[in-house]
Amino acid sequence: MSAPSMIKLQSSDAAEITVEREIAERSVLIKNMMEDVGEQAFSEAIPIPNVNEAVLNKVIEWCTHHRADPPSTNDDDSDSRKKTTDIEEWDQKFMQVDQEMLFEIILAANYLDIKPLLDVGCKTVANMIKGKSPEEIRKTFNIQNDFTPEEEDQIRRENEWAEDR
Amino acid sequence: MPIAMPPTPNKEDIQATWSFLQFGVEKIMRNLREGVDMQTYMGIYTAVHNFCTSQKAVQSQSGGGIIGANAHRGANLLGEDLYQNLKVYLKAHLKLIHEQSKGHSDEALLTFYIKEWDRYTTAAKYINHLFRYLNRHWVKREIDEGKKDVYDVYTLHLVEWREELFEKVSTNVMAAVLKMVEKQRNGETIEQAQIKSIVDSFVSLGLDENDSSKSTLEVYRYHFERPFIDATRTYYQNESAQFVAENSVVEYMKKAENRLDEEKNRVGLYLHQDIMNTLMKTCLQVLVTDHSTLLRDEFQSLLDMDRQDDLARMYRLLARIIDGLEPLKTKFEAHVRKSGLANVEKYAAEENVEPKVYVDSLLEIHTQYAKLVEDAFGGESEFVRSLDNACKEFVNRNKICKTGTTKSPELLAKYTDNLLKRSGKSAEEADLEVSLTQVMTVFKYIEDKDVFQKFYSRMLAKRLVHASSASEDAETSMISKLKEACGYEYTNKLQRMFQDMQTSKDLNSSYKEWQARILDEEDLKKAVDPTYSILGTGFWPLSAPTTTFIPPNEIVKTYKRFESFYCEKHSGRRLTWLWQLSKGEVKTNYLKSKPPYTFMVSTYQIGILMLFNDAETVTYEDAQKATTLTAEFLDPSLAVFVKAKVLNVSPENGKPEPGTSYSLNYAFKSKKIKVNLNIAVKSEQKQETEETHKTIEEDRKLLIQSAIVRIMKSRKKMKHVHLMQETLLQLSARFQPKPADIKKSIDQLIEKEYLERLEDDELGYLA
Repeated sequence: MSAPSMIKLQSSDAAEITVEREIAERSVLIKNMMEDVGEQAFSEAIPIPNVNEAVLNKVIEWCTHHRADPPSTNDDDSDSRKKTTDIEEWDQKFMQVDQEMLFEIILAANYLDIKPLLDVGCKTVANMIKGKSPEEIRKTFNIQNDFTPEEEDQIRRENEWAEDR
Repeated sequence: MPIAMPPTPNKEDIQATWSFLQFGVEKIMRNLREGVDMQTYMGIYTAVHNFCTSQKAVQSQSGGGIIGANAHRGANLLGEDLYQNLKVYLKAHLKLIHEQSKGHSDEALLTFYIKEWDRYTTAAKYINHLFRYLNRHWVKREIDEGKKDVYDVYTLHLVEWREELFEKVSTNVMAAVLKMVEKQRNGETIEQAQIKSIVDSFVSLGLDENDSSKSTLEVYRYHFERPFIDATRTYYQNESAQFVAENSVVEYMKKAENRLDEEKNRVGLYLHQDIMNTLMKTCLQVLVTDHSTLLRDEFQSLLDMDRQDDLARMYRLLARIIDGLEPLKTKFEAHVRKSGLANVEKYAAEENVEPKVYVDSLLEIHTQYAKLVEDAFGGESEFVRSLDNACKEFVNRNKICKTGTTKSPELLAKYTDNLLKRSGKSAEEADLEVSLTQVMTVFKYIEDKDVFQKFYSRMLAKRLVHASSASEDAETSMISKLKEACGYEYTNKLQRMFQDMQTSKDLNSSYKEWQARILDEEDLKKAVDPTYSILGTGFWPLSAPTTTFIPPNEIVKTYKRFESFYCEKHSGRRLTWLWQLSKGEVKTNYLKSKPPYTFMVSTYQIGILMLFNDAETVTYEDAQKATTLTAEFLDPSLAVFVKAKVLNVSPENGKPEPGTSYSLNYAFKSKKIKVNLNIAVKSEQKQETEETHKTIEEDRKLLIQSAIVRIMKSRKKMKHVHLMQETLLQLSARFQPKPADIKKSIDQLIEKEYLERLEDDELGYLA
């Protein structure tokens, strides 16, 4: 293979980031677009209007580390992946960011169509919720309790089956 | 950038979002060839994404009450508005294309359809990518929840095409396709790729209603395959009817074969593989089955003219339809039988036919038609069987076999004997082997294999006793061929005969040693130099001489000595001298030739010649008295001497009868030093043949009886009818027993109390 072909991405805040095509194509959006648009994608920066520079860099960091991953099986219902909340060590470290950034990464992964990154992000959030009481969860995510006591009672009854005891 | 994109819309405003998207979609639909610029591309994707992720709808939903029964918990997925708008857009777009299509027909319509299809599906692929966010979330959710009429965006394009355009134009498109195919069948050149595109398009529209990710061929089958097959049928019905009316059957077969190949190739060129079976079936029906009677009627004349290529072509055609060959097999069988009979009549119809001529006349036909079956009929087993049946018929029942089925095996055995006997022009080993293989070909068809066995063993016995085999290898090879064909039992006795000859060889050498030990020099000088063959009575088809005979004194001592040697060695065995098979050499001291002539003569003849040691003239009565030979043997022996001018006869031309006298001819002359006078007499041979035939009847009775006993021994009880059948079956490998003979044998066995009659027509075995 010849020298890796490089492309440029332009973040929402107008920063240009140069990246190997192979890495950028972890994003199905970019991959499809490269196929569809052709030539132009090499000569001009690709606008990524929904992601800012900081987040885009973070995403590229993840894509670089996972560039050689085997393509995930298209069948995203494969049970093992969905159910387990295990996250590999590198990804755990990668996700050790403030909540704001974490959510930005999840949104960006969703937008750019990078399924494995989206999964890791969601699993991270799931782990943050796991084993916590509603009060603790509200605290973690800074959520205001807007249920009336009656509503709360009803929800608790409906979800009794899920209580871990 | 040819047209500037409108600014990115407010993500919560469906009107604004859609008009933004429609602008982009329209651009892709209409101007894809100019390419899509990245800004537009990303703009559309982002607009779809933003609309689907906007919070507005979620909020309005949760306002309705989160506990509501129908509400989705968690994120509500947006997108239905986009989907419906896209659908409306596609419908309108396709209506427009439909309107445009009305201006075209025939090939122009095809061109138009294909062009539009290519443009539309390419655009669909782009739009599908751009709406991927919708596919991933809203569409996926709808499909997961079991909505039947929601498809991913690409499939939506196809569904709309099918409904809004395809359903309306497919009949016309198909008519244009069929017109082109007909042109091609008529020999014109057409744009095949166009039809291929149409096929692909029709196939693509086969969407599985239950699972949009799968496709079915139903649309294609209904809209393409069905009319295509109908048109094909009509075309070839017309063509073949006309062609047959104007051309010979042979020409028609060529035509049909070409057409079948052509249609088969057509599938590979531009049709869908799925059509192959139906298309071939239809073509075969119209081109072959519908004309099969006509073809079959030609079969006989092709056979008569030996038109191998045409026969092969007919076979190939009829082999492809159900039961196509059945009537040919019967005709073929009858034809081969007729040819066989005719050939026998042509070459071998005389009363005393040469065995070789006869066997050759059988082989000729077999070879000819075996080759035909192999070359023209692909060696098909059914035709092989027909050939076998026919050969069986004409081998066993032809003009030569008037007297019965025993004639063929007799002649075949004689032919084999001639092959295996040493003769002046002995064949090369390899040629001999080929001939023996051919013998086996005929042998396979012989019904009375027991007759062959009988004659063969007699002739083998003679070859062995007279040491006249051409080649021991060939003898062994023939025996093993027979064994392979008929089993161990069939050749058992033949093999024992070989063993006896070997044993005799050893015995002779040990006798020579013994003789050397006990004889003094004087005795040795006088003794003749003998060779003996000891032949087991049960294995050899030989019997004791039918005439009395007093051996001449000169050999009495010698053979008596051997008798005592043998009886000492094997006490209790009895030796019977088969004088009729014995022979010897006599040296003539009374003639002046140098070296003296040696006469090769039978022992009977020695007996006669020795008389002349004591008398110049011997009368017929003297000879009779001295040898005690019956006239049957004495007369021909004397006749040979007279004919060879060894003896003078008085009166001249006197018959061998009382009153005739014989004297040595001192003027005897011969070109050869060794003179063979041991010549079998014709009448003798004929008599032997008759005898052999007679013993066959006797043997068959025994064979039938032993088969019955064998069967009953294992079954214990059996119905009369079944016993008859089983016996017939078991014996058919050897000969075809007559039912009456089997019945008779059963009765005899009941008399002898091997079997008993039980109730209900059953027979029981008495141990």
